[in-house]
Amino acid sequence: MTQWLLAAVLGLLFALGTFLVLRRDVVRVVWGVAIISQSANVYLVTMGGLAGAAPIGDFRGETPPPTDPLVQALVLTAIVIGFGTTALALVLTYRVYEEHGTIDVYDLGGEGL
Amino acid sequence: MSDETESNRPAATAGPTDETEQTVNTSTGRVGPAFDHRTTVIARTVVRVVVPVVVVTALALLFQGHNRPGGGFIGAVLTATAAVLVYVIFGLEYLQSHLLGIDSSPNEPHAPTGWYRWLFAGGLALAAGSGMFPLLAGLPFLTQGVAFVHGLPIYGELEVASALAFDLGVYGTVVGGLLTVVAEVGEE
Amino acid sequence: MVASSVNQPVVVAPLLVALATAILTLLARFDLRVERVVSLAGGVGYTAVTALLFQRVVLGSESVLPYYLSNWPAPYGITLVADALSASMLALAGVVTLPALVFAVVSVRERGQRLSFHPLYHFMLAGVSGAFLTGDIFNLFVWFEVMLMSSYVLVVFYSGPEHTRAALSYVVLNLLGSAVMLVAIGGLYATTGTLNMAAMARRLGEPAAYNVAVAPTLGLAALLLAVFALKAGIVPFHFWVPAAYRAAPAPVTAVLAGVVKKVGIYAIVRLFFTVFVAAEYANGSALDYVGPVLVVTAVASMVYGGLAAVGRDELEQLLALSSVGQVGFIVLPLGIAALAPNLPMPNGVPGETLAAFGVAAALVYSFNHAVAKGLLFLVAGTLTDVIGTTEFDRLGGIARRAPVLAGAFLLGGLSLIGVPPLIGFFGKLLVFRVGVLAGAAGSGTAARLAWLGLAAALVGAVLTIAYVTRAWNAVFWGEPPKTVEAVLEERWSAGRRESTAAAADGGQFGVTSRRTLAVEAVVLAVLAVTLVGFGVGADLVVEAAAEAGEAATDTAGYVDGVYPEDGIDGVPADGGDHSGDGGGH
Repeated sequence: MTQWLLAAVLGLLFALGTFLVLRRDVVRVVWGVAIISQSANVYLVTMGGLAGAAPIGDFRGETPPPTDPLVQALVLTAIVIGFGTTALALVLTYRVYEEHGTIDVYDLGGEGL
Repeated sequence: MSDETESNRPAATAGPTDETEQTVNTSTGRVGPAFDHRTTVIARTVVRVVVPVVVVTALALLFQGHNRPGGGFIGAVLTATAAVLVYVIFGLEYLQSHLLGIDSSPNEPHAPTGWYRWLFAGGLALAAGSGMFPLLAGLPFLTQGVAFVHGLPIYGELEVASALAFDLGVYGTVVGGLLTVVAEVGEE
Repeated sequence: MVASSVNQPVVVAPLLVALATAILTLLARFDLRVERVVSLAGGVGYTAVTALLFQRVVLGSESVLPYYLSNWPAPYGITLVADALSASMLALAGVVTLPALVFAVVSVRERGQRLSFHPLYHFMLAGVSGAFLTGDIFNLFVWFEVMLMSSYVLVVFYSGPEHTRAALSYVVLNLLGSAVMLVAIGGLYATTGTLNMAAMARRLGEPAAYNVAVAPTLGLAALLLAVFALKAGIVPFHFWVPAAYRAAPAPVTAVLAGVVKKVGIYAIVRLFFTVFVAAEYANGSALDYVGPVLVVTAVASMVYGGLAAVGRDELEQLLALSSVGQVGFIVLPLGIAALAPNLPMPNGVPGETLAAFGVAAALVYSFNHAVAKGLLFLVAGTLTDVIGTTEFDRLGGIARRAPVLAGAFLLGGLSLIGVPPLIGFFGKLLVFRVGVLAGAAGSGTAARLAWLGLAAALVGAVLTIAYVTRAWNAVFWGEPPKTVEAVLEERWSAGRRESTAAAADGGQFGVTSRRTLAVEAVVLAVLAVTLVGFGVGADLVVEAAAEAGEAATDTAGYVDGVYPEDGIDGVPADGGDHSGDGGGH
């Protein structure tokens, strides 16, 4: 049951993130990216399986075995990294606003492809 | 970390720091920084109570991190949260000169961030150094060890883990980095 | 497996040198001179240890050197692995990063260096080294992030409006890429039950023994391919390249194009030619699936990059777009080799199978591109330093006034085109040879794709000639316009420039000191000589690449080198005790 619920939540989160990334407002884009990376983290946790108990303490020889703790370590790392990059992206957005006076993707323009 | 924000900062920094001059606070009669009018008595009181709790929790997480849930990063984030709480309610000036005791004199406007950077760099050096130390003993990078000290009063037995040095390094790095961000962005 | 080949400090040395230098420069920020000395010493040390590792692994007798961080045996802990492929890539990084660093010390504005140029540069190197060395797929993600995090800040370093805009799109794209990579890694862990690349290859090779569902890994591998293509700037994931390369300071761009891009290439080779090749899918191995994709994207890159570069009126943009095209030349032999990986090669070809040969060709071309493009970006950087622009309209006639600069550009351009005896010739030769051998020996779709790739490579090569010639004509020949006259009054060479007083009314760009120019010219000359030297001594490069190609395609050797079946030091290798929760949901 938890699996299905989480799968649905993940789908929603990814959809929401994608929707925000496609907006014209840079702040929304950054939020969208942040949501997508957070949903990647949630996805990573579910990849360890959700059947067992919380993997805290000594579980030697117990059945059923606790949930895989490795994914949680991975997620911690990923959260730290995502935290840093999202902060950087937000600061950059602020700077873009300061320097260009707009945070509209179309108004910012580009150099073309 | 966010050093680049320094280069283009507008010359005049407006914001809450201007209002936190030393004045006699009319409501309490005490001499202290004039708080931002938007913060209420409730918020100030709550923060006074909460911040020490947060800091103690952060330190607990830091020191048990090597074999229980917790660790340098989360401890540091909590510590920085405490600092941010103080900043939001009492202002940056109060946080830096009253709580941390760093004077941002007019000559050296970046003195606090200078300190945070030392914390950041020192933390990194400690973390990396604790990883490289085993190389001297011919062990692989990042090898950890643990020793137990017996016969202590109260504690009886104390666990001294080399991973704690790494955690302390991470703690310093993250606190330093986050406080730099808070100070830099807060000033703008 | 001899016990002595485990945990040799030389394996972790590049990583540690870069990391230690980054931290020491951070601590030495109180004095710019001290910081520079530390940074340069670290750069020299980095090149030295990468050379040592190269000597030990590629030229020496060792084959696969595992390094168990924290002494946790594979596949439980994080393992670093130095094989011929990793060591060659590290050596490439060592060759490019030191000249770029020396250039940066004199070229990057002092204020910028005071901020955090040196720590960031070395953190980027640490990320690159970690990505090349790691034998753990999640750890690969972490090193990618270390590398990218530094490069984000370096791209925005000059913090002008254009730079922040470029950096923002660069950051957002790479954040999305990271999320996708994380999803792929999570899926791979769930299906195979391991993150260690060697263990993953072993489990994918014997899915029944380890209770692994193979089919899902194909889609996850495709996700990873997209992420690596984004890092390598292959069409259709190239759109961040021009803006980001233009925004970054020239020496950083040289490293971004020369080394950081190659990390994406390396990851493709490592994961597809070493790891995923072990799995057997419905229609063959992962290489059968990925081959056509790589060929098509390579074709698109070569044609698009070439055409876009020809039309540019600005040297840095031209070079940035050119590197989109040049990456196509690196990916093409990989794609063609993936179409028929086990095709035996005739005598005299570096590599026993087409896969090994393809990887070798890609590596030689990578080396050429790293040095030549690095050199060209540094020439563009010197032009910016001296004249203040790299727009063709405002340049011209530099050849007579700055012969060193012109000579360096000429050699770099010729190597990019592929003129003997420069190393670029051998790169192009090998790439074309891969295509011809595959086209002649293969059959059906594989042969057709190989010929298509060859045709596109020919077009790409012609376009390379076109844009290099155009840039040469516009910048170095012709009559110098006023912008050049103002700064370079008469014939100038590194040793003879007296003062910049003449440029005082020419604008703010005449402030480049004589020493700066001398150092920049020396760096350019050294890189140009490297191009010639490795061209004359191409045997070394080709042999090393051949060895790397063999190492990259020798999955069994890699797996046994990292953790042999009978275990290391009495610790048994894992015996398929994975609970198989991957299939459970």
